[in-house]
Amino acid sequence: MSSAGQGFEHGALRRHLALVGAQLRVSTLAALEYRVGFWTEGVVGLAWSLGGLVPLIVALEHRDDVAGWGPWEIVLLTGFFLIISGVFASAVQPAVSESMAKIRTGTLDYLLLRPVDGLVSCLSAAFEPWSLIEVLTGVVLAVVATIQLELTPSAGQLGVLALVLACGLVSLYALGVLILSASFRALELQNLTFLMETLLDFAHWPISVFRGPLKLVFTFVVPFAVMTSYPAQSLSGALGASEVLGAVVTALALAAIARLAWRRALRGYTSASS
Amino acid sequence: MSASGRGRRSKVAALWRLGVAEASAYRASLLVWVLATTLPLISLVLWRALAESGPIGDYDQHGFDSYFIAAFVVRQLSASWVVWDLDRQIRTGELSALLMRPVHPVLHHAMTNLSALPLRTALAAPVGLAVLLATGGISITEDPAMLALVVPVLALAWAINFVTQLAIGCLAFWLTKAAALYDVWLGAYVVLAGYLVPTSLFPAGLAEVARMLPFHAALGFPVELLIGRLSVAEAVAGIGLQLVWLVALGALAALAWRWGLRAYGAFGA
Repeated sequence: MSSAGQGFEHGALRRHLALVGAQLRVSTLAALEYRVGFWTEGVVGLAWSLGGLVPLIVALEHRDDVAGWGPWEIVLLTGFFLIISGVFASAVQPAVSESMAKIRTGTLDYLLLRPVDGLVSCLSAAFEPWSLIEVLTGVVLAVVATIQLELTPSAGQLGVLALVLACGLVSLYALGVLILSASFRALELQNLTFLMETLLDFAHWPISVFRGPLKLVFTFVVPFAVMTSYPAQSLSGALGASEVLGAVVTALALAAIARLAWRRALRGYTSASS
Repeated sequence: MSASGRGRRSKVAALWRLGVAEASAYRASLLVWVLATTLPLISLVLWRALAESGPIGDYDQHGFDSYFIAAFVVRQLSASWVVWDLDRQIRTGELSALLMRPVHPVLHHAMTNLSALPLRTALAAPVGLAVLLATGGISITEDPAMLALVVPVLALAWAINFVTQLAIGCLAFWLTKAAALYDVWLGAYVVLAGYLVPTSLFPAGLAEVARMLPFHAALGFPVELLIGRLSVAEAVAGIGLQLVWLVALGALAALAWRWGLRAYGAFGA
């Protein structure tokens, strides 16, 4: 494909940033136009995510802790869950769905013809700003829990937090790209985003709850551990070097696989007109 | 059997064949739906680990195995998706063509949804069997009377899901995003139906309320009946509750359908 493989020549970065900025602005203006989205997207999304807490509350009702995590540690975890789930609902899911709709209708050609990387074009195809309410709530919860637990993270620990959180976000985006690439092959696979959304429910739980193969899956394949458990653990200094290394390797590997899958998918794409 | 009765039977049979063909054409999509409903099996692993150090409420590890495998099965057998079809058909006007056919559109949808069940079961069976083998089996009720009740209770659960989706789908006659409203219903279902955790483990107060709601009637109740956790009196009360919800939601759906068709005609479709 024309734009996919092209390198970062002079001014390319600015062009990409300008595109993302413009898409953000348009989406924000559209969101302000349809203010009912505050309720249908923002509040309902938050209620969905908090509803997923009920099983944890039930578990804490019958036990003092969930696999070593006390109530306030669970709140801290929930804060990071809301950040991840909010980013998914506001940026990843809308962009992937919009791109899928473009594959279906054949208008993806216009996106690919832009003088920017095709993937950047697709991943910034749509934003849902109201879902950022979830991210904000998540940040507040994480701060409140940190204060309640009387944690005083050092600068180094905050650095680790930023690193694992970045790894979590990269993994989340990579999974989105994999879903998008799969939908090139078979349009009926578009409900994969729904599968991802339901799976995300399990990011509510600390990774120490899971056993055996499921633990491996949620650490390395669909790395919910990197997205929610590790950031929470990094604040209390409970995160070992091997886990941080594992997070970085997982994120990089997922990103590389996603990029490869995307290139393969594009090569097989023959557009609506040709 | 009268001629018209035979005619209707052959129409229903044709719809069934159409539904089976459609389901097999979209089997990859159906497989993803089956995978998306394996959540109870992940819950199983999770609660099994939590119950390692002793039972939680009145569920021990084996209890959780039975509960969540049964929940997976009930979910497969009571699934329908008429809300998305109806929402699209109303928005795009496809419904007009459906209204011209000699079969009632609701019957058409009921048959499409039911006829996917065999393939759905076939896709879900390997998953269910693997989990059965891994966990060492489940205990289901040994009371023959209860076993006999399982089939009608499952049918009622399916019907509750179907009329709920029908009622919400009919909102598309007036709203542009009726299917999005169903997401709200689904969110409540996942939490309150006993999909992620048995409702009997909920904190006192919340448990009693949750067990009165249609969500529980559509999932938690059939599951508890199947694994033999209910007395005869509780089973009868549960069926009564299922019937109440079916009639209430069915009446809503019928009203929405009738008024909706009038609105649909009014904007010239």
